[in-house]
Amino acid sequence: MLTAVRRQLRVCMLSVKYNIMREMINPVTFVTNIIFMMLNNATILVQWFILFRLRDDIGGYTMKEVMLLWGLTAASFGLSRVLFARAFSLSELIVSGKLDSYLVQPKNVLLSVMTSATNISAIGDFLYGLVLLFACGFNVGRFFLFLLFTGTGTVIITAFALILGSLSFWFVRMEMFGNQMVSGMISFMTYPDGIFRGVSRFLVYFVIPVGMAVYHPVHIMTEFDAGMFLEVTGYAVFLMIAAVIVFYRGLKRYSSSSLMEARM
Amino acid sequence: MNRCMKKGMPGQLRQQGYGEMCRVPGRKYAVIYRAVLMENMQYAANIAMGFFSYFVFIFIFIKLWEYIYRTPGELIAGYTKEQMIWYVMMTEMIWFGSNTGAVARQVTADIRGGNIAYLMNKPYHYALYILAKYTGEWSIRLPMYALLAAVIGAAMVGAVPGFRLVTLPVMILCVVLGVTINAVFKICISLFSFWIEDATPFQWLYDKLILVVGTVFPIEIFPVSLQPLFKLTPIYTVCYGPAKLIVDFRAEKCIEILSVQVLYLAAGCALMFLVYRKGVKKLYVNGG
Repeated sequence: MLTAVRRQLRVCMLSVKYNIMREMINPVTFVTNIIFMMLNNATILVQWFILFRLRDDIGGYTMKEVMLLWGLTAASFGLSRVLFARAFSLSELIVSGKLDSYLVQPKNVLLSVMTSATNISAIGDFLYGLVLLFACGFNVGRFFLFLLFTGTGTVIITAFALILGSLSFWFVRMEMFGNQMVSGMISFMTYPDGIFRGVSRFLVYFVIPVGMAVYHPVHIMTEFDAGMFLEVTGYAVFLMIAAVIVFYRGLKRYSSSSLMEARM
Repeated sequence: MNRCMKKGMPGQLRQQGYGEMCRVPGRKYAVIYRAVLMENMQYAANIAMGFFSYFVFIFIFIKLWEYIYRTPGELIAGYTKEQMIWYVMMTEMIWFGSNTGAVARQVTADIRGGNIAYLMNKPYHYALYILAKYTGEWSIRLPMYALLAAVIGAAMVGAVPGFRLVTLPVMILCVVLGVTINAVFKICISLFSFWIEDATPFQWLYDKLILVVGTVFPIEIFPVSLQPLFKLTPIYTVCYGPAKLIVDFRAEKCIEILSVQVLYLAAGCALMFLVYRKGVKKLYVNGG
């Protein structure tokens, strides 16, 4: 059992490695994509410097906490797009019948699909997240918590994208809806939860899983709370299991388009 | 065979008097514009699917400004809360309504993929062809987003303070000029693909500059020392100018903004033609 898991993980890592190596054929474009993504993210700080000139706190957050929020969002989103980029375009694979080539492989279908693409600019997102963490002041405990919550955030974002993508097994034209929901999620993730009250607060905690992906982790990193910690890790596991179940339920409805395609 | 009838010409172009069309300057671009416009009208429902992102963005900013404005009637950088929210709604309307693929993705893809070799031999100027195509795309999107912005604004914020219907034509002109200036600069950036293969990262930076500095805040909110600098950038003509006129119309400001837009457009077009002329000399075609 353990050997099988280890082999599967090795295949996934090799898949990601070859995705990255393929993009490195043109090193200038590869490096430019990463650096410019980091610069692109850094420009957002201007917005927050301006807002903090107007008020000392925004939604109960100081500049340091906003940087932590941004860092965690960038790192989680970045890592999910580096390791599992195909989860964000699953709809297109289902609609165009391109899942066939994954179904005949002897390894886990879902993991093979998810790791079959890598978004190179997302490496810049991940590195930017780490830069912001160090800019907030290095602290060993916070560093490990950050890495752990980057992991849970990655799982939550990927699982959410996977569930939305899997809806294409049942409904048509879901790809745009899925993209809109994921981009909406990212938009919410980059603003403090304190500005949302009433229905909007319910929305970010219970409909779009932003609260568990970044808001709770930032609160824990600011002031540790064991209950909240268990909530976040438990939710990440729950959402991951839910996404796997939805995908495999949907896969039973999948019909091939007889498209001839080789995956190397 | 007439040069206009080469393979790859849009179907509608082939059905018209091409010889005559090629002789009348500008008419071919009008035909391209009309063909793209009619094509995009078929996808109005798809465009409407993008309303969700716009709504989320505006919703967040309404909540943000509601938090920052703590007392009714408070002014920040000379703007009331309603004006500030309307400002963001207008700049985002311009952004979402004109954010189509032609000027950024297509130019880069054409150059990277080699399709430029076919397109540059057509009896039109490639950059103007892209501009005509882009105009056809946003001519459907922008009015749809304008309608959405008006509905959301009226429902969640109330009417634009001091809005007069008589000023609407000049506001529309200002928005159209702003969108065209933005397109010209984005084409210029995309044309850098002749040298660096993929100019997308430069597009990100330009977009972020416009988004963060231009769409989220009016220029008055920045430190006084930075304001003259921002007035020299495309932000002033692309986002700030049109939105400022909509939320706080003044005749003298209108003349100033329109004058700067005309100057900017002329300079941008000159730059676009220059970059294109230099760029095509760097083009290598590897068969195919």
